[in-house]
Amino acid sequence: MAAVYKTLSATSGNEKESGERKNRQRVLILSSRGVTYRHRHLLQDLYSLMPHSRKEAKLDTKTKLHQLNELAELYNCNNVLFFEARKGQDLYAWMSKAPNGPTVKMHLQNLHTMEELNFIGNCLKGSRPVLSFDAAFEKQAHTRLIKELLTQIFGVPKTSRKVKPFVDHVMGFTLAGGKIWVRVYQINESEPGKKKPVDGEEMDVDSAPKKKGKTEFDVQLVEIGPRFVLTPIVIQESSFGGPIIYENKEFVSPNQIRADLRRAKGAKYNVRTEAIKDSKIRRGELGLTSHGGRKKEKDPLSDSVLFA
Amino acid sequence: MARSKLKTMLDNEKGRNIKLEKQRRHEKEVRKRKEQKKAAENGTSDAEGGVPLDEVEKKVAEKSNGMAKKGKANGVKAAAPVEEPEWETDDSEDEDASDDDDDMEERPALDLSHLDDSESDVSGDDEEDEEVQETLGAAGDDEEEEDEKEQAEDDIALSDIESLADEDKADIIPHQRLTINNTAALTAALNRIKLPYSKLAFSEYMSLTSDEDVDIPDVDDDLNRELAFYKQSLSAVKDARGLLKKEGAPFSRPADYFAEMVKSDEHMGKIKQKLIDEAAGKKAAAEARKQRDLKKFGKQVQVAKLQERAKEKRDTLDKINQLKRKRSGADVTKTNEEDLFDIELDKSDKPDRREGGSGSFKRQKKNEKFGFGGKKRHAKSNDAVSSADSRGFSHKKMKGKAGGAAKRPGKSRRMKTK
Repeated sequence: MAAVYKTLSATSGNEKESGERKNRQRVLILSSRGVTYRHRHLLQDLYSLMPHSRKEAKLDTKTKLHQLNELAELYNCNNVLFFEARKGQDLYAWMSKAPNGPTVKMHLQNLHTMEELNFIGNCLKGSRPVLSFDAAFEKQAHTRLIKELLTQIFGVPKTSRKVKPFVDHVMGFTLAGGKIWVRVYQINESEPGKKKPVDGEEMDVDSAPKKKGKTEFDVQLVEIGPRFVLTPIVIQESSFGGPIIYENKEFVSPNQIRADLRRAKGAKYNVRTEAIKDSKIRRGELGLTSHGGRKKEKDPLSDSVLFA
Repeated sequence: MARSKLKTMLDNEKGRNIKLEKQRRHEKEVRKRKEQKKAAENGTSDAEGGVPLDEVEKKVAEKSNGMAKKGKANGVKAAAPVEEPEWETDDSEDEDASDDDDDMEERPALDLSHLDDSESDVSGDDEEDEEVQETLGAAGDDEEEEDEKEQAEDDIALSDIESLADEDKADIIPHQRLTINNTAALTAALNRIKLPYSKLAFSEYMSLTSDEDVDIPDVDDDLNRELAFYKQSLSAVKDARGLLKKEGAPFSRPADYFAEMVKSDEHMGKIKQKLIDEAAGKKAAAEARKQRDLKKFGKQVQVAKLQERAKEKRDTLDKINQLKRKRSGADVTKTNEEDLFDIELDKSDKPDRREGGSGSFKRQKKNEKFGFGGKKRHAKSNDAVSSADSRGFSHKKMKGKAGGAAKRPGKSRRMKTK
């Protein structure tokens, strides 16, 4: 019976294919060396959410990123999601269409992995997500490009190998404050006081219009995690190379921020030492440090002598 | 190191400044003339700095048709469809637009092929970006003859200025680094990788865009921000559900479909444990609070009880006194019938007899003084309470009345007064 169904559905699928193109995506997920445990857990979370992804060992280099193209080719991936850790604290996410597509480099902030968030949401491993985008993505050219990349990388294609046939989670991408906020929710359906339709797929097909009428279905979302925020920095025309076609001037590197903080802190010390020097000079001018033109001799009982 | 490099670059640039400024002035004039012409022609000029997307798309389409012309359009002339824009700078966001030169900032017009030659290394470092821009500028110089609008990059990024010392800051007019926003190239790249959405079924890509912008007034307001995200996703889910059902694709997981989940049972157990712990903690806290309140309240109750008891005692004593008075002054109150009745009830035979026997004030006083009935022994001896009672004690009295002694006159005087 199942075999019959399979063959039937396969033929119908083939018919479709002749008219419609298929969406084939495979994503290579990997990180650079020097990631922290949280970065690693994020990688793991994303990997578990993306059945069409392939995890690779950490990349040794941070400069020769074009090697990633070869790696992607090796694993038949047409997307690369590369996490670059710097200074053991900053995480940059590179998204690229592998052979010659554009590359987006983004700064990843406000990272919370599934493990530390303790959300009660859960979903099937390998189910396909609904991708929800903010309308603001359509406004500018670079956000449209980023949206397309996100769609292709995080959207699980129908034909993926480990995919499960149901839709039970949604990924939200929202533009707020020049940043992309990413959230993952579980879709929790509950029918108020009615029996749950446990009909198969074939039933769904013919009962589609009937279902549409039934709008009293309660849909709730329960967050699953992880959470993170992406700031686009640079878009390159080809994969991990080529000219820069977009650069975000509002982006301030975390190094700069840290340096500014440190400098502000250091300024305090400078002011203090300056003040000490000034007072020394003033005292010298008043003749408090010298005695009749000669330097005062050291007090043999002063603290600096006794406790030298 | 970055600074020194920058400075040298600056110096190099300063040598060329005069020339550049001349060029700029010239450009300005040319542009003004052109603008006036165009204004006369079209009557409309786009005030907006950037190029509208659809226009760019149109141009890209034109370009793909083989109409590739060399030229450029800057923000001011965006509305003019005469020239084919290859590169442009989005300077609509330039904050220092008031600066006379800045609204004229533009990037050199280059072919994409030309740019490919200047293989730029994108690593996000400031200096390298500067270098890239420099190379672009240099490349632009080659075309200066054929294109009037060429201009080298001689601005200093705002972020770089901050790293300079204070005294250097004074004589540099800050310019913000120009954002590279090559809309045409971005659109081209997008078209290259875009999925053919119109040809694909929704179930192939399952991506939805919200109808209107998600409005988040303050990104630091966690609650409202998350609510906005939630709403966006929820509406997308509802739409997606409808679309998938229409296509006949399965949506909800049947209750009897079990498979591996993203979060393992172990992980879920941990989360459950955490929730339980949290709930238990809350409960314990509530209990403790209740106990504390009770304690506070219990004290009040105790005080109230004591007061009540004292009041009761007072009342009974009062009553007794009243009764005593009544008994003593029976003749006076006997006119009142009710009282009479009351007393009649209270009265036993004995007191009546006694009262009738002597009934006098004298007898009462004597009874008070010497006692009437009951044990006579030890009645006047001290006990613990009376010895602790210091009401009658006065240290003044203990001092031995000095004043009193002085008041008594001497014997002779007394004799005299006699």
